[in-house]
Amino acid sequence: MTASEYRVLPGPEGYLPPAAACMGVMLPEPGEALVEGKIVPEEDALQKIAEKLLAARNPVFFPGPLVLWAWREGVAEKAKAVVELVEAAGARIIPMPDYRPKYPMINPAVEINPNHPNLTIWHNRIDVGVFVGVHCHYANVALKIIRGGTDCYTIALCGEMGHEDAMITLRDVDAAKLRRLTEVVKTRAQARPARAAGAHERR
Amino acid sequence: MVNQRVVTPEHLFFEAQREKQFITGSEAVREAIRRANVDLAVSYPITPQSESMHLVGDIYAEGYLKEYFRGESELAVMAEVAGASMGGVRVFTATGGPGTLRAFEMFPAWAGARLPIVCAFLTRGVNSPLSIQPDTIEMAFMLDTGILMFHAESAQDLYDMILKAFVIAERPDVHLPVGVFADGFFVTHTREQVAVAPADLKLPPYDPYAAPVPAMDMESAPVRQMRDPFVMKSNFISYAAHASWQQEILAAQERARKYVHRYLEGLVEVEHPEAAVLVMASGTMVSQSREAVAVARQQGLDIGLVKIKSLRPFPREEIKTLARQARTIIVPEYNRVGWLCREIKAAVEDTTKVVGGPRVFGGMTMPPEVVLDQIRRCCA
Amino acid sequence: MSESLFRISPGFEEVMPVEYRELVTNGPCGREVGVSDLGTFKELIEEHPLCAGCNMGLALRLILASLPKPEDTVIVGSTGCSSLAFTQVAVHNIHSLFGNQNAVASGLKRALRLRFPDKVKDVVVIAGDGATVDIGLDMVMQSWFRRERITTIMLDNEVYANTGGQESGMSPQGTVLNMAPLGKRFPKVALPEIAREAGCAYVATISPAQPKRLERMVRRAILTAREVGPTYVQIFCPCPTNFKFRPNEGLQKIKQRQKEGTFQVREYVSPEAQAFLAELEGADHEK
Repeated sequence: MTASEYRVLPGPEGYLPPAAACMGVMLPEPGEALVEGKIVPEEDALQKIAEKLLAARNPVFFPGPLVLWAWREGVAEKAKAVVELVEAAGARIIPMPDYRPKYPMINPAVEINPNHPNLTIWHNRIDVGVFVGVHCHYANVALKIIRGGTDCYTIALCGEMGHEDAMITLRDVDAAKLRRLTEVVKTRAQARPARAAGAHERR
Repeated sequence: MVNQRVVTPEHLFFEAQREKQFITGSEAVREAIRRANVDLAVSYPITPQSESMHLVGDIYAEGYLKEYFRGESELAVMAEVAGASMGGVRVFTATGGPGTLRAFEMFPAWAGARLPIVCAFLTRGVNSPLSIQPDTIEMAFMLDTGILMFHAESAQDLYDMILKAFVIAERPDVHLPVGVFADGFFVTHTREQVAVAPADLKLPPYDPYAAPVPAMDMESAPVRQMRDPFVMKSNFISYAAHASWQQEILAAQERARKYVHRYLEGLVEVEHPEAAVLVMASGTMVSQSREAVAVARQQGLDIGLVKIKSLRPFPREEIKTLARQARTIIVPEYNRVGWLCREIKAAVEDTTKVVGGPRVFGGMTMPPEVVLDQIRRCCA
Repeated sequence: MSESLFRISPGFEEVMPVEYRELVTNGPCGREVGVSDLGTFKELIEEHPLCAGCNMGLALRLILASLPKPEDTVIVGSTGCSSLAFTQVAVHNIHSLFGNQNAVASGLKRALRLRFPDKVKDVVVIAGDGATVDIGLDMVMQSWFRRERITTIMLDNEVYANTGGQESGMSPQGTVLNMAPLGKRFPKVALPEIAREAGCAYVATISPAQPKRLERMVRRAILTAREVGPTYVQIFCPCPTNFKFRPNEGLQKIKQRQKEGTFQVREYVSPEAQAFLAELEGADHEK
């Protein structure tokens, strides 16, 4: 396979999958997004995210420290937008409160850790996982491990420039973009009422 | 502090009216740092680097930097700038030769910690025996530390590359240290016309809160944060985390490619790419090769020149493509080990096309005639 | 610290793991709590992986409870047993290399002064004896020569414990350890004296056997470093694992050494620091 043909798909991909960036996958420019390694218009990615979230058996959001803690102006607004999106998608939240290798071990039922995110995904049988508010370095560390060892479909809602190692990534995600995504999810959910209701029941 | 106007990198690099100054490479370092909005610089003497950091000290005294001091050794200096960088400020330092080796443990630590430090490496030979003279052998050791590496041909390159290095280093998707390498004495101690932007302009400040890792300032989440933790338990989980972390450094190097294209206008510069024989070189060896290529072309030889500006990321696709149509590739170098030749061989499809050398080292100059002899042999 | 650094974003209170909720509701930041209050507030360190009976682990708990302003403290550590615990500590902390901690701290302190000129930002180095007196001695002393405004705390367990019990500069003379098969041939390095001569404004030696005194010394060291100059605290915390005593014998061992005179509690305060502390502590008294 040549570099440009590399597709970022759910795993398990193998013992040590490569970084997608090293296989030729480039981050999107403003207004664009990445879906499975291909650059697409951002609007297409919003639709795809909504589709994946609504079709999921067990979609889970993994908010990181950048959004869990109201450390900076604007975070509380973004946090609110994340919570609204989670509700619209009928998803659950499992936080990534920090990045430490935790001693003696994490409780995979209630938290996720970038050094071994696979444990939380396996434990909770998560089929769609959404990263938001995680520092880019740790998100990338985690996303590769997830692709390597699990079949979880990963989505990264990045406040900076996105993540090649997620199956879908948005960039420059702020509260407004989260609200736009929530609208898309709600619209699609209304078009497919059975699916959305089912998701809510499961909670 | 001196009053300077913050402008966009694009304005400073490409739009601002430039003025020509007849200056040395060391002075070009000073002129770059004058416009780089550097917060803190740490210095330590080693020939042929010393003068560049004297001059940075001079502009600190004039109010172009907020903080400057002399460290106690290169290992300490590299740790001092690392501490400052983790504290969220823009830093600069410089070293060369034995200083590079003394500090060596810090370079992979910088890259692993995602520190956007810019360091000028003004290269020289390493012991033993002791030599203060030009040699690029230290670059062989630096290739796999994870830092980005640019190689300046001239004082003009040195000025441009240092300024651009800050912008590339600090991109949130890159966020890696950048080494700007220049051949000691040949660049640092010779004078040339250098076009510089007005001194009252400077780069925008560094934003630690756009970084891919938290600043260590007790102002950013999360509070329970170690830079950087041990990932060393004896189990697969720890190995996989460390491996993924290392891969992320490689990935960040790849992401730098588009910025090297944007700001350095390519990883290579090519003259006569269609030629049957190509000389591929970096640093001042490009200048020596250019002389030889000009003479050879006058004599009717089908020869071209490839100047490699970025060694990390390495222009492997560019070189692979160039090598496809070339019959022979000549790689002259200022070091004994031929690290550039190895790199090129790893990129091309047919390694038998690559002719390593001529090489000189230990301070010897490369007369263009020696490159020309090699060209004649290869064109025969 | 920005006030909101310890505020959970609305909507996430319920999902935040319990150790963080406790840190927010009952942590030490912004409050007047110290070692006497241990057990009544949420400590900065979570569970740690150090050996049972580790005196260093105890020392670390006490140091963290003694920080005068944890919400504005950044710690620099170094390779060794203590760095295994630091991942679990709820203040920003740095592990760079083995031995370069005081150089990292020098750069960090200067950076934080540039970024936050109107705020107190305490930079505290906490490293083992190997990191401080052997591999890092050059950078430790140079930071004192330069009068960096940092506090250096050595956790003196008298051995390279993390690598498996090798002789360090702080091992007692005559001790048989790995790499000292015939016993150590020179005495403990006199780092407190060196610190005094190298420019430290405040120098103290203490052990976790005297928690209140340790607290007072750590606080004095950090407060002096803010205003006067570099400070040094050496904390004697012998290693049960490598010196092969039982986990419950740690404090006895310290007291025994104190009786023998091979460990002494000492304090040196420079005249300038004395004046500073007198004013500060006098003012505290009046409150």
